[in-house]
Amino acid sequence: MSVRVHPELRNQLMQFGIGDWNACYHCGTCTAMCPLSEEGFLFPRKKIRLMQMGLKNEIESSVEPWLCYYCGDCTSTCPRDANPGELMMSLRRYLTSIYDWTGLSKKFYTSEVWEIGSILLIAVLVVIAFLIGLPAMGYSFTTELTSQGGVKINSFAPIHIIEAFDWAMAIVVGGLLISNILRMYYKIIWKHGHTKVTFWVHVREFWRLVFNFSVQPKFGKCDDKRYWFSHWFLMSGYTIMFIVVVVFLPWFQTEKILPPWHLQRALGYYATFGLLFGLLVAITGRMRRKDVKFYFSHVSDWLFLVMLTLTVITGILIHIFRIYGMPYATYIFYIIHMAVLVPMILIEVPFSKWSHLAYRPFAVYFQHLKTHAVPRKTKINSIN
Amino acid sequence: MRSPSKTCIFFYNPQFSDFDPIDYAELIRYSMTFPNVSRIWKYHDFIWNEQNLTDKIEANGIDHLIVAGLLPGTVKTLFSKAMAIAGKDPANVILASFNDYYTGTTFDMDRLKSVLACLIAGLSYETVAIPDENPVNPATLVIGGGIAGIQASLEIAYSNNHVYLVEKTGTIGGKMATFDKTFPTLDCAACILTPKMVEVNQNPFINLMTYCEVQEVSGEAGNYSVRILMRARKVNVKTCIGCGTCTEKCPAQAPSEFDYGTSMRKAIYMPFPQAVPNKYMIDAESCIYLKTGKCRACVKVCPVPDCINLDEQDHEVTINVGNIIVATGFKPFDAKKMDQFGYGRLPNVLTSLEFERLLNASGPTGGNIHLRSQDKKGNWIFTEEAEKPEKVAIIHCVGSRDKNHNKYCSRVCCMYSLKFSHLILEKLPGAEIHEYFIDMRSFGKGYEEFYERILEEDVSIVRGKTAKVEERNGKLFLRGEDILKGEILENTVDMVILSIGLEAAEETRDLSRMLGIPRSEDGFFEEVHYNLDPTATSRGGIYLAGTCQGPKDIPDSVAQGSAAAARAIQSILKGKIYKDLISIPLETIEKRINKLTLVQLEEKHL
Repeated sequence: MSVRVHPELRNQLMQFGIGDWNACYHCGTCTAMCPLSEEGFLFPRKKIRLMQMGLKNEIESSVEPWLCYYCGDCTSTCPRDANPGELMMSLRRYLTSIYDWTGLSKKFYTSEVWEIGSILLIAVLVVIAFLIGLPAMGYSFTTELTSQGGVKINSFAPIHIIEAFDWAMAIVVGGLLISNILRMYYKIIWKHGHTKVTFWVHVREFWRLVFNFSVQPKFGKCDDKRYWFSHWFLMSGYTIMFIVVVVFLPWFQTEKILPPWHLQRALGYYATFGLLFGLLVAITGRMRRKDVKFYFSHVSDWLFLVMLTLTVITGILIHIFRIYGMPYATYIFYIIHMAVLVPMILIEVPFSKWSHLAYRPFAVYFQHLKTHAVPRKTKINSIN
Repeated sequence: MRSPSKTCIFFYNPQFSDFDPIDYAELIRYSMTFPNVSRIWKYHDFIWNEQNLTDKIEANGIDHLIVAGLLPGTVKTLFSKAMAIAGKDPANVILASFNDYYTGTTFDMDRLKSVLACLIAGLSYETVAIPDENPVNPATLVIGGGIAGIQASLEIAYSNNHVYLVEKTGTIGGKMATFDKTFPTLDCAACILTPKMVEVNQNPFINLMTYCEVQEVSGEAGNYSVRILMRARKVNVKTCIGCGTCTEKCPAQAPSEFDYGTSMRKAIYMPFPQAVPNKYMIDAESCIYLKTGKCRACVKVCPVPDCINLDEQDHEVTINVGNIIVATGFKPFDAKKMDQFGYGRLPNVLTSLEFERLLNASGPTGGNIHLRSQDKKGNWIFTEEAEKPEKVAIIHCVGSRDKNHNKYCSRVCCMYSLKFSHLILEKLPGAEIHEYFIDMRSFGKGYEEFYERILEEDVSIVRGKTAKVEERNGKLFLRGEDILKGEILENTVDMVILSIGLEAAEETRDLSRMLGIPRSEDGFFEEVHYNLDPTATSRGGIYLAGTCQGPKDIPDSVAQGSAAAARAIQSILKGKIYKDLISIPLETIEKRINKLTLVQLEEKHL
């Protein structure tokens, strides 16, 4: 198989983040410092080498960028200021844009106008839907309170419409994400002509996907356990909230005010604390810029944090206003909540930073598929 | 060169050179005052391609083109081509490279203007900028008694001129005296150095001043007045017979500077047995008498009356010299700054200089390689009872070629590391040696051959710098990447040697202020011209020798010592010395230009 060299790759990758791809003189310090780099899957130096040589296909078929959890040890010890940690981050952004078949991801990553513009557009559409769409469909809200003194929220946001919309959004986002993962699978496993992975290995190694999604053990191996905890707390809170809002919305968005120890409220509080804690660590970290992992912030990193924070804060406010019977405040923040949440999920999950929630565990899964790959029988072999 | 008629100046200051410190506006204003300058262009004035340039040259009828800037040579071809296309002589493209012409890194506006004025007049800067001369005092001061300073002193003394050799420590010899062997010839360092040291001591033209420091320098080229602090040695150098009785009785101990702390010395000591002068001295910081007022053991046992005077005080002397040779040497990189290698925490991680002492027959283990072990009090020391290492790793480029520490290559580490491999195998046959390098730099006469020789010996030389050293089960565990194999490399060894780089000595900063000579970015003294004048400084009568100018090996230091001496002797023979180059004011240059152009015009009429 011939190897194709893409000299333009360097300039393409420069658009995805900071870092000097040509500074590396290959001393190997980064790879040896890395707590996650293991035999057969060595990074960051090897990936920098691929980049310097312009081997686009090799980069696209590598899982290693997703195995890096950016502790920053490589960057702080690099004798050349080549910033390997950020280069791996840029590679992840690049790979996200490669897996995405719509081409939108590349636009969002390389153009701030595109990213912020589309977020604003979707936000405006959401506001229009609430202010014009729902009244036009014949729904009118009431400012009357329930017997418990709570806001009749379902009169403003009819539960079956919101639920239908949630499901539609979940299907669109899920569909995009799954198709991207299939492309990822194709590039990493399927395209490899020399090896194949048996069906049994796929089944046997599947637990790794579930395990890595829910626990992120690799993140824990990165030196600082505090970051693993804050990330895991945020992730678990987010996952619970996502399932509750999409699958169990009629159970979650009730007009009846349940006692605080009821599962509905308890789960909500857990998710809120998890999200807030994780966000606080990430935002203060990025503002203080003390740790190498937080030193360089791309627009996509900040957008994600800001939007998630807005979502959580507006969610808390809706909850408070609803319980204390303030209908107008509740409804206004409900619109803001949705105007932030919907674009965040539509843009970030399939096309941008948030897609890592799928790519990272799948990368670990694919990594283990790769280690168990067996040589494919070639025609020459079969003749013999 | 005839006086140019219609000249154009192109200022080449590309925007990407962020470090361009030159005030171009001022230079343009100055150039406009010359009548023969017809046009001035700046980098951003037009898109400069061949066609465009040719058009402009033709339209303005330009005969001469001066390209001025930091690196104008990069665009010279383009301008020459454009001149040729326009039908003019392409040789009339003149470069005003501010990096050359002795402008150094200071970028003094007057000097830049001088360079421009000369070139506009069609004269080279060198023919115009000749400094005034001073009569010269034939005595020379050499600062630093390492191999470069020794060489320079001897060269001058052989020409029957007086030399003051000032050395900060108690003995001359410098770093080379601490080495065991020199690469690539594997000469015994002491065997080739000590005869020279003795010669320094015996030569009547050399006034050896050890344990002294230069305090102040005043005056100008040809006649410098230097104030020197003579530290109290507290032992009379003239009467001390070097018997060693005092050291035997002295109760106080301190780490030996000469052995880089690998062994202990007494408070009254001789730095090493072959020290020059071969006399004892007292370290005021560790002496019990000087701290508590009680002891005087050395005075009691000294067989020479009044030889030891514990109450001696520092004093100062002032000397007058015509030339000064700076040979202050280097400081080894502090390996504790790179915590990942564990130096200072792990007892058997050594720096290369410590290992030199370990190899040396006069070192702490008598030239046998032993691991560091704990004594009864729990201190980590070298003894001959300790075990010998079976596996040794040598890590190259510690502190060098590293943007976190020193960007430059220290030039000697690759070679001395290879030398270590050879010497370890010589002393411990069958030992396993691993060298971890990034790039092997074996430049120089016989060096590559030496590398090949080591490759044939049983040494594993691996490409890939080690990332970290940790202690595991009492052994040292290394982790790195084997670049060529593309594998993680893990190894457990008994001893790790860090090939530390060279840094500018601490006193470089003070000396540069005292002497008024600039330092370059990396902290070393700056020479006038890297290629063509590596020993002179921008101040007349002050020269550089050895590693104070930049990392270099022994042969280069010796060569530079001789070269610096030649410069001093040159002025002594002539009886006159040029003043500082930077001291020529712009008006003088302008006057000279006028004079020279008049001469040229007269020649033409003849």
